[in-house]
Amino acid sequence: MIPREWIPTRTTRTHLAFLALPVALFATFYVYPIISSVYLSMHSWDGFSPDMRWVGLQNYKTLLAQPRFFNAVLNNIAWVAFMLIVPTGIGLMLAAILDRGIRGESVYRIIFFLPFTIPAVAVAAIWRWMYEPTNGLITTVLDLAGLGWAAQNWLGDPAVVNASLMGAVAWWTTGFAFLVFFAGLRNIPTECIEAARIEGATSWQIFWKVSFPLLWPSTIIVLGMSAIDAMRLFDIVWAMTQGGPAYSSEVLATQMYDLAFGRFEMGRASAVSVYLLLIAAVVIMPYILYMSSRVQDSEAE
Amino acid sequence: MSKSTFLGAMALTALLGSSAYAQDNFEVWHYYAAGSELAGMNALIDYSNSQAKDAKFTGVVVPGNVVELRRQLQTAFLGGRPPAAYQSSMAFELKAFVDGGRLHPIPDVWEQIKGDEIFPAGVQRVVKIGGQPYGVPFDLSLINNVFYNVKLFKELGLEVPTDWDSFAKACSALSKAGYQPLGNAGGTFWSLYNFYSPLVSIVGEEGYYKIARGELGFDSPEFSKALDLYRDKMIPCYAKNWSGKTWTQTADDVVNGSTGMFMMGAWVAAYFEQAGFKGGEGFDLFQAPGTVGKSVFQMDVLAVPAGPEATIAAANQFLVAAASPEGQAAFAVPKGSLAPNVKVDASVYNYAGAKLAKQFSDASAKDAVLPNLFFLLPTALGTELGNQIQRFAIDPSDATKAEVISTLEGLRQEALANKAFIAW
Repeated sequence: MIPREWIPTRTTRTHLAFLALPVALFATFYVYPIISSVYLSMHSWDGFSPDMRWVGLQNYKTLLAQPRFFNAVLNNIAWVAFMLIVPTGIGLMLAAILDRGIRGESVYRIIFFLPFTIPAVAVAAIWRWMYEPTNGLITTVLDLAGLGWAAQNWLGDPAVVNASLMGAVAWWTTGFAFLVFFAGLRNIPTECIEAARIEGATSWQIFWKVSFPLLWPSTIIVLGMSAIDAMRLFDIVWAMTQGGPAYSSEVLATQMYDLAFGRFEMGRASAVSVYLLLIAAVVIMPYILYMSSRVQDSEAE
Repeated sequence: MSKSTFLGAMALTALLGSSAYAQDNFEVWHYYAAGSELAGMNALIDYSNSQAKDAKFTGVVVPGNVVELRRQLQTAFLGGRPPAAYQSSMAFELKAFVDGGRLHPIPDVWEQIKGDEIFPAGVQRVVKIGGQPYGVPFDLSLINNVFYNVKLFKELGLEVPTDWDSFAKACSALSKAGYQPLGNAGGTFWSLYNFYSPLVSIVGEEGYYKIARGELGFDSPEFSKALDLYRDKMIPCYAKNWSGKTWTQTADDVVNGSTGMFMMGAWVAAYFEQAGFKGGEGFDLFQAPGTVGKSVFQMDVLAVPAGPEATIAAANQFLVAAASPEGQAAFAVPKGSLAPNVKVDASVYNYAGAKLAKQFSDASAKDAVLPNLFFLLPTALGTELGNQIQRFAIDPSDATKAEVISTLEGLRQEALANKAFIAW
């Protein structure tokens, strides 16, 4: 006989019913692929043969012995730093400037946000032409401005290519940070700003001491999304350089794709994906835990 | 209508629908998404549909290149729904899928089309795995020609180069006159295709095949000499900032007269023609030093995945039509490539096509036909060779050379240990 307290109540059953679908979707499309990737990473498999060969941790060891792998890891870390600072910083700056009530605000809002609506592959195509090293727009403008000496082999020089890609991504993604910060600024109670102004605060002091701290929820969203975007970066790099020249712009996701489909090494590609998961966890989890505690603190207050 | 009647009608409709689909709508997957390439593929499919008795084919474009197509195929194979036929590269690209048990051998088709007669020996050896044919060649491009701007050559009074010394002279003259001597482009393939010229110069045809079979090491004196020749004679000729350009951007530089020469696959001739830059007037071509009298080629074939008998029978009809002189010409003329079938009348080609066809015919007669090494090597090694040669072309220092050799030799040893090489 089942104890009475073990039988779910009608309310509990309703909760379980509502939870069933999202849990099933999460298990199918998130948990299962992770488990499958870990399983594949311990095999040698070309991706289509009926048979796989068990190799244990060999794929992980092989990757750790390759400079190519470490170069991709470093590039991912550089992308995280860039995404947290540059598009976020520019987006905040643009939002703060536009929040001052500039004429034609709605036009600027569209202009700033528009690039973010363009698909990655189209952005890549646009910037491949912009970065053409002889007749591209950037080189031509620099030449006309008498700054021809600053023109570079934008996508062909291993020392420059990552900065060039970051320039394109800054143009593309700043609109997102701008929009979130701008909405955040517009939601700050005007009494706070007025009170600071009456107290004699300068514009900079109002922004830095009043507006910016109150933008915290927007900052959480922008920084979190930026860090995640940086770790899973693939499309724009693949479409613009395919990780080249000679692996110099490669990130872990493009390396994974190249190994899986360019070289028929599905097991090793899966090992890269597991490393990517672990590195993303190390880089992003502390941030998420910190933010969670801040949210809890805010709720407590 | 009762519930059972309704369900019965639905089931019958579904059955008839799937039956009709199986009979009429066979897919051919390819990655020719635009321009002359798509026009060629559509013409080939149209011709095959006009010849096939009871099967119709639809072309399905997988945007991208061979890598993107592999990704789609892997998913399709795992899902048990591969296309009836698909565009494949040659040699190891076929072998990988044969080893995986995913390709259907086509000896009956081969016999019907008289494959051993209509395709040159050099072509045959890269579509047969273990003696069995697995693909019908339909798209062949030579990759050992240098295309040049006729006006610039006339203006500077330059002779068409025939060896390394005359090539170096042409480079020097173009450079002194303020032009970029030799175009190249960033990417895994293009520097490697250029490198075949010094490589063949040093190792010859037999050495080339020895590398393909894993018998000649990347740490051998011969390979080192080939890198040195590439460094001394070609790399200094390259246009400024070449590694930041796509091949079409470099082709544009030849059209607009800022770059004198461009060593690229024969498809660049079709690009030139589309840009109004006519063969024999705007541009002309010559075989790269070290490969005169020889043909290095890249080729695509039509392969048939293992599957239901009815699908294979339909695919076989498609292949037979695609191998015929009419089918081959239907593709080659709009695309600007060569028909691998030697029965195709040379009069179908334009200026550049006729020259290339003559080169290929002459080389075939001497058995001096060399398939693209990229696809003769095990897939991972071929891809790495492309990356490492590009790296060396960007930075041809001794340190880079040593790293290139070490990386490639390491992979060769790994492939030898896995018995991955085969004798083509």
